[in-house]
Order: sequence, then C-alpha cells, then structure tokens
Amino acid sequence: MRIQTRALSIVMLVVFLGIAAVFLFPFAWMISSSFKEKSEIFANPPIWIPAKLHFENFTQLFTEKNFGRVILNSLFTAITGTIGGLFFCSMAGFAFAKYNFRGKGLLFGLVLASLMIPMESSLVPLFVIYRDLGMIDQLWGVILPRLTSAFGIFYMRQYCMTIENELLEASRIDGCSEARIYFRIVAPILIPAFASLGIIFFVEEWNNFLWPTIILRSQENLTLAVAIRALQSGVRTPYNLIMSGSVISVVPMLLAIFIFQKQIIAGLTEGTLKG
Amino acid sequence: MQNLYWKWQFKSAPYWFIAPFVICFIIFVFLPFSYSVYLSFTEWHGQETKTFVGLANYATLLKSGDFWQSIVNSVLIFVLYVPIMLALALIFAACLSTTWMKWTGFFRTVFFIPNITSVVAISFVFLLIFNADQGILNQILMSLGLFDEPIRFLETPWWARVSVAILVIFRWTGYNMILLLGGIQSISKSLYEAAKVDGANGIQSFWHITLPLMRRLLAFCTILSTLGTFSLFTEPFILTGGGPNMATTTPVVLIYNESFKNLNMGYASTISIFFFILMMILSLVQLRLFREHD
Repeated sequence: MRIQTRALSIVMLVVFLGIAAVFLFPFAWMISSSFKEKSEIFANPPIWIPAKLHFENFTQLFTEKNFGRVILNSLFTAITGTIGGLFFCSMAGFAFAKYNFRGKGLLFGLVLASLMIPMESSLVPLFVIYRDLGMIDQLWGVILPRLTSAFGIFYMRQYCMTIENELLEASRIDGCSEARIYFRIVAPILIPAFASLGIIFFVEEWNNFLWPTIILRSQENLTLAVAIRALQSGVRTPYNLIMSGSVISVVPMLLAIFIFQKQIIAGLTEGTLKG
Repeated sequence: MQNLYWKWQFKSAPYWFIAPFVICFIIFVFLPFSYSVYLSFTEWHGQETKTFVGLANYATLLKSGDFWQSIVNSVLIFVLYVPIMLALALIFAACLSTTWMKWTGFFRTVFFIPNITSVVAISFVFLLIFNADQGILNQILMSLGLFDEPIRFLETPWWARVSVAILVIFRWTGYNMILLLGGIQSISKSLYEAAKVDGANGIQSFWHITLPLMRRLLAFCTILSTLGTFSLFTEPFILTGGGPNMATTTPVVLIYNESFKNLNMGYASTISIFFFILMMILSLVQLRLFREHD
C-alpha cells in the first residue's frame, strides 16, 4: 500500500510537471522571442536561443517608444486606482456593515445595480461624456471609473461585519467622531483586507485594456497594455518589440508571484470566495 | 450646541462614507446608462446633430443578425472551453488537495499565473504561437506527424473559435481551480476516512463524495464563465479582431467595432442595451445562486 502510494505520487508528480511545462510554455516563448531578430521568431525549425541576444529590442522601446514614461503611467494608474478604490470601497463597506440609516436599502440597491450594469454597455456615452469634459487622453480618466466597485464594497462590507460593535461603541463614549473611528479603529483592523483586495485591484488595473485603449491617444500617455498593442501595425508589425514589451509587463508580475506566492494566492482565494 | 453637532455627525456619517460611491455611480453608471438608452433611439455618428429615429435601430438589430451572430459565437466558444476548463480545474484542485501530491504550492502558482499576467501580452504570444505558416504550434503538430498541412488557426471560423477557447482555457483554468480548491478544502476529512474504511479508493471517493458536494460551486463557476464569455474582448480583439467572417465577434467586440470603428454610435447603443439585458439576467441568476451558496 505504501509503495503504491509512493509510486502514484511520483507518477502524478511527473504528469503535473508536464502540465506545468505546457502552462509555462507561452511565457518561455515570450521571453525567448523578446531577444530575437524578427525573422527568428518565425523560423522553422523553431529557435529557442537566438544566435545573438538582441537586447536592443528592449532599449529601442525606451529610446523610440518612450517606454520609461509608459511604465510610469502604468504604475501611476495602478497605484492611485488601487489606493483610491480601497479607500472608497472600505468606507462604503463599513457604512453598509455597521450603520442603520434611512435609505440604506435603496443605496445598497444601487450597489447591486452597478454590479449589473457592466461598463461595456455604456462605452459610447462614457466616451461622449469624456470628450465633452475634455478628459480624453488623460490618465485620470482611466482611474476614475474604477474608484468604486460593487465587488470591492461587498468584500469590505463582509470584512467589516466581523468588527465588534462594542469596540465602536466604546470609542464613541470616549469621544471619537465617526471619521476618527474609521481612520483610527476600523482602517487598522482592515489591513489584511486592504492587502488582499489591493492585490486584486492592482492586477486588474495593471492589465486593464478596453477603456484605456478607447481614451488614451498620445504615446506619452499610454499605459503598458495599450502601448504594446500600439506597436501592432499591419504587415510590418515588429513582433520582437511586442514580445519585449510583453516581457516588461509580465516579468515583474511573475517575480512577485513566485516570491510572495503564499500571500498572493491566499489573498486572491479569500477575495474571490468572499466577493 | 456641542451635543447637536455630535448627533449630526453620527447621523450623517454613513452618508458621507457612501457619498463617493454614489457620486461615481451617478457619473460613471447611471448617467452613461440613461444616455445610452436615449442614444439607442437616434442615428448618430459622433459629430453631427443626433437624428431621432424611434425604433429603427432596434429593427435593424433584429433584422441584421449581427447581434445574434455575436451571441451564437459566444455560446459556441463557451461550449468549446467551459467543459474542458472546469474538468481540468476540478482534476487539478482534487489532485493538489491530496496528501500524496508534492510541490502543491508551486503547481498552484504556475496554473494561476496566466490569470494575473497581462491579457494583451499573453494574447500576442498566442498570436505568434497560432500563426498558420510559421507558428510554433503548427511546427510541433506537423513534426509529430499529427497533421500534414498547417492548421489555419486564426483564418478559418471554427479554428479561430478553438484558438480563442484555448487561450481562455489557458487564462482561466487556474482561477477556477483556486475557487474549487476552496470548496474541496471545506469538505470534512471524516467523509473521506469513512469511505476509506468502507474500502473506497481515491477515484471512487472523488466520484461519490467530492463531485456531488461540489455541484453548487461548479454551477457558480459556470455562471461566472457565462458572464465572462459574453464580455470577452481582449482575447478575440488581439487574436482575430473578431474575424474571420465575424466568427469570433463577441457582443463587446461588436459594440467596440460599431462604435469606434464604424462610428455608428446610435446603433452601437442599441446593441449595448441588449447586451445589458443579457448581462442583467445572468447576474440575477448568479446573485441567486450565490445567496443560496452563502
């Protein structure tokens, strides 16, 4: 029986290593292609390690395509979007979890409604509103629609429910205003929730494509995902540059997940199951 | 006076806390949506004055079949990927939660990576991999002798749908696996021990204990995938641009093309309304399932 289990364990390990290789294959091909000359990408038989490592695929992005700025734009939208989203969602979630007030049901109905009206169904009017307000080609325009999300509010509400009412009452008796209670009592308790939801928000914003590609125009305002796509141009598309751009957008994420795999997976699991 | 202020700040606090959400809701959800309803009754190409055309757009939509085609495409892609994805996710989750499996943390991470890395980047890699004449996938398939001629992955309607389905499986298996892992880990160990005492092997206890208990969670995953398939955008947009012959045009790709390529803003709004109704029905089903699940 024990030998059987051991054999099974080894066989399954080999099988899973094979499957893992399939899942990692596209990333390996991406990294390999990012160092190739364009003709080597489509070579037959396939080339894994190019004759010469073309680091200029990367430097060219920075010198000709302003990728330094593009990376900063991506970081800016992801960080501000995440912080703003966490702040607004936690406040709303706290209010829904811990207060009774007139119109609570109606306001919660709005949260549900925003869950059911996907942004994709109002692309045209949003674009027109943006155009009339002069918000086209502005990084702020990418962030603003994502500052509150129904998912985030649900998540924070769920987490706030675990806070004890006695704690809040005691602070009120000590003379804490409600704003102070949020900042001094509630926010510190929510730190683990901020971490989990923050990872989700950051990843979503970093990879966000549809809305940014509609409103961002000039090269110095693009985010990474849009800038990579902007390299595509008919037959003469520089696929080697697209691959090096992709490496720039993917590799930091890969390193982060392997270093913090426990925290990230736990956070995301908790996040998706709760929300 | 002090007392009155105190009472006021207590009473009004929840409204202040919710105010940012309400403002965002009005500007980014309610106004655009109402405007969308209005635009759906007009003919408008973005610049000139809008012409009120009544139900003409709705008539066009029902007649032209573009929208139905996009729904059918989504359903076909859904059928191609959901069974495979959920089966894989369930098998991965079941194996990774056993005591004899090694390196579970590593595998979990590897399967999950495609879900958190940039869709645009991954779609472009697959664009290279699927390339008919020089793509590595065709080179592998042909050198293994599985096919004599390269498959026109992105150029024939069915293979294009299969390509999108493969990309979606790649991106979402890990996510569903994580959801299912949560479910499997909440199943009481004593059930498996009892089965073992009764002489059940691993596969039997998977079939008779794990699977039945996971039914609701699997239904939940299926609904999430349905919502996801109808709003699929980046993957077909980059792989095929919605083609060939509209074979991979999902509703969102259709909305995008009509509004920002063909500049039929009025007609695009009509499609958006239909898309909204579809998504609303699906979200209601999801909420219902989820509430019961809770």
